[in-house]
Amino acid sequence: MMTYSKRGLNIASPGYLVALLYFISNIIFYFIPETKFSRPVVTFAIFLTDVIAISLAIYLAQGMQTDFYLIYFLIIFIASVGQDLRGSIPIAIVASILYGWLLLRANPGISILDSAILIRIPFIFIVSIISSYWSTEIRRELTEKKELENFAHRLEQEIARMTAEEIDLKSYHDTVINSVASGVIAVSSDGVITTINPEAARVLGTSRSALMGKNIKDIDGLEPMWQKMQEVIASSTPSDRVQVAIKNAHNETIPVGLSVSPMSSLNHSISGCVGILRDLSDIKALEERLRHAERLSYLGKMASWVAHEIRNPLTAIDGFSQLLAKTREPDKIKAFSVEIHRGTKRINHIIDDILTFARTKTHIKADDIDLRQLMTQITENMGNVRIFISGDVNTRIKGEEESLKSLFNNLISNSIDAMDKDPKLTIKFCRKDQWLVTEMADNGRGMSAENIKKLFTPFFTTKSRGTGLGLAIVKKIVDDHGGKLEIESEEGKGTTCRVYLPAGDK
Amino acid sequence: MKKRLLVCDDEEPIRLLLTESLQDIYDIVEASNGKDALSLALREHFDLIIMDIKMPQVHGLEAIERIREKDKRIPIVIISAYRPMEDDIIVKTSNVAAFITKPIDISALRAKIFELIGE
Repeated sequence: MMTYSKRGLNIASPGYLVALLYFISNIIFYFIPETKFSRPVVTFAIFLTDVIAISLAIYLAQGMQTDFYLIYFLIIFIASVGQDLRGSIPIAIVASILYGWLLLRANPGISILDSAILIRIPFIFIVSIISSYWSTEIRRELTEKKELENFAHRLEQEIARMTAEEIDLKSYHDTVINSVASGVIAVSSDGVITTINPEAARVLGTSRSALMGKNIKDIDGLEPMWQKMQEVIASSTPSDRVQVAIKNAHNETIPVGLSVSPMSSLNHSISGCVGILRDLSDIKALEERLRHAERLSYLGKMASWVAHEIRNPLTAIDGFSQLLAKTREPDKIKAFSVEIHRGTKRINHIIDDILTFARTKTHIKADDIDLRQLMTQITENMGNVRIFISGDVNTRIKGEEESLKSLFNNLISNSIDAMDKDPKLTIKFCRKDQWLVTEMADNGRGMSAENIKKLFTPFFTTKSRGTGLGLAIVKKIVDDHGGKLEIESEEGKGTTCRVYLPAGDK
Repeated sequence: MKKRLLVCDDEEPIRLLLTESLQDIYDIVEASNGKDALSLALREHFDLIIMDIKMPQVHGLEAIERIREKDKRIPIVIISAYRPMEDDIIVKTSNVAAFITKPIDISALRAKIFELIGE
């Protein structure tokens, strides 16, 4: 282009040299990696070079008749596309200065109002501004589109990652729930089974798939479970562990330990509940066997005890009646009769003890009793035992007189049996909160820790004449009256019993 | 001279019964627990011992074993409210001459003692 002139193509002309240099530089640029052009300084330098090259071409084209100036627009357009307004305006300025200078130089007398100046130079700026604006717009749109695409891509990735995580978490939770040795069953608030683990399905005698999605209300035999679940959903508080009997799919009754907790959804409303079940069949069977064995052993002990306790007075009655038949001495007849009477009384007493011990009634008669007076009656004629009764509070209580007599009789005779020399028994009454406490302290032999443990065991005795029922009866009477009993003892020092009975009104 | 019997039972009516039943033929010495019976048996001479099993301080069976350590021959008659095989009252029969369960048939007891030691 630049070598073109009115004189034709001339290889030696400077125009040709400029064009050649320009061409070579473009080839070099071609091999320079694109990234090198990203710096605005480099692109600016390139466009500047272009502008200078065009100006040089116009200059060499000898005059302003050439249309080479149009190439300015092209370069400015490209500069605008490649950069923005900040990049294209300096190029436009440089181009207009150079072109203006060329115009002035070619036409020294040119007026500023000449169309060449008045139209072309502002046009350079207009092109620069419009194309910059346009290219910026396009670039922005492109960038936005790209960002949007990037965003969509990131969103997709994130969703995929979260889905994978959720799947992981769900399978992890499933594994945890399925591995629990207890049965886990979750239901929605209207009773639809949403989760059930293999153990729960086993307890219910069927498969998980048969239960999932079913309404627990529609399953026969699970009514007690659903009832408990409804209570928990209604109150939204977890239940204590309860025992319920459910029927499994084979219509067998299964004792189940059940605890239910409410399940709340994200907005904290109750969305259902989760029940933990424990199959108690084995434990129940074991307990039943144990109880049976205990009952048998107990029965055996009881029978043995009764046999022993009754056979002794029976021996006396039987023996003395045999002797009675043979004797004629009035003194002996009297003595043997007394012994027979004693024996029958003894047997009667034993029967009383057994009945007291074995009675199951929980309500007691409410005689109005003055404990202090009762105690004085009991302790009369206690031989050489010194008995001190103290405490001056109101000692009236509501209770069963015969039972209480038996209670204190047993405790006092235990104390007396335990005391060897200088026997001394102190009985004190005092009021403590809602209790009337009767404290009895002796200075007897006391008991070993081991014996204290066995104290209330029926048929346990350390005494020769003991039935082994005394303290078991004491305990029973105290329990029947809603009271409590404390026993402290030290071997060689003595024993202190405290009987707490509910105090009457003052 | 009458033969001497040691009667050991913690129940006073039983001791009285045995004494009343046997004192016309024998001299009776009473002990109310295993410990007294043991010390009497080891100290004095008796021709026969009547011993209860369930007794305080020294259990009847223990007393018998201790007596047997010293005297292999003296006849011992057990009188008990238990039967020989009842509960843990398993008696070494070789150690005792007779096991009589309560209630006692007095004529049978007298006959047994007579059989063992005569009058």
